[in-house]
Amino acid sequence: MPIVVNLDVMMAKRKISAGELAERVDITPANLSILKNNKAKAVRFSTLEAICRELDCQPGDVLEYVKDE
Amino acid sequence: MNPKWTSEKSLFLSRCLTIASFALGIASLFCIPIITEWYDAVSGEEPIHIVLNIALYLSAILALIALWQLHTLLNRFAKQQVFVTENTVCFRRIAWCCFGVALIWLVLCYWRFLAFFVAFIAAFAGLLLRVMKNMLEAAVALREENDYTI
Repeated sequence: MPIVVNLDVMMAKRKISAGELAERVDITPANLSILKNNKAKAVRFSTLEAICRELDCQPGDVLEYVKDE
Repeated sequence: MNPKWTSEKSLFLSRCLTIASFALGIASLFCIPIITEWYDAVSGEEPIHIVLNIALYLSAILALIALWQLHTLLNRFAKQQVFVTENTVCFRRIAWCCFGVALIWLVLCYWRFLAFFVAFIAAFAGLLLRVMKNMLEAAVALREENDYTI
């Protein structure tokens, strides 16, 4: 998929664990893992909003478009 | 709908009917030669019991395969595994079994034109099952998309 989720990079920058972020964003750790491992097919605006709020970043910091080779 | 008639009971009935049909199918394998000889005796036309035997045995085998797939499908439904890729495979196999039966009876039209109606019904059932398979495939894709929407 050309959209890459750079959640782990932002989490490392903010020094926040997956469990803590999942709790703050109010999603299950399993769903956060799906998101982190680029397995997700779609992200709700409400989830993205909560992630950006908790990580104090912009959607572009978490999502990246990479051209298909 | 009758409140006492739950979906679990309906599923149980379907499973029982499938198992009964399977048992009946196996029992009918032993009766095929008798049925074909009886048909030749009452039809008054040229005897075709050998061809009819082959057609019925091949059809019975395909029917048993289809029933087994149906049984697998219902077992998965009982485990709440409805929108899974494996079920579309089952539907596809059953549809191909129907098309196989249709082909066998289409060949039999050379001897008895009446066989065309059996072929038509089997082909129509196969077509319906293929449409259902396509619908289930779309449902599986939707479910996956829903499951992977965070």
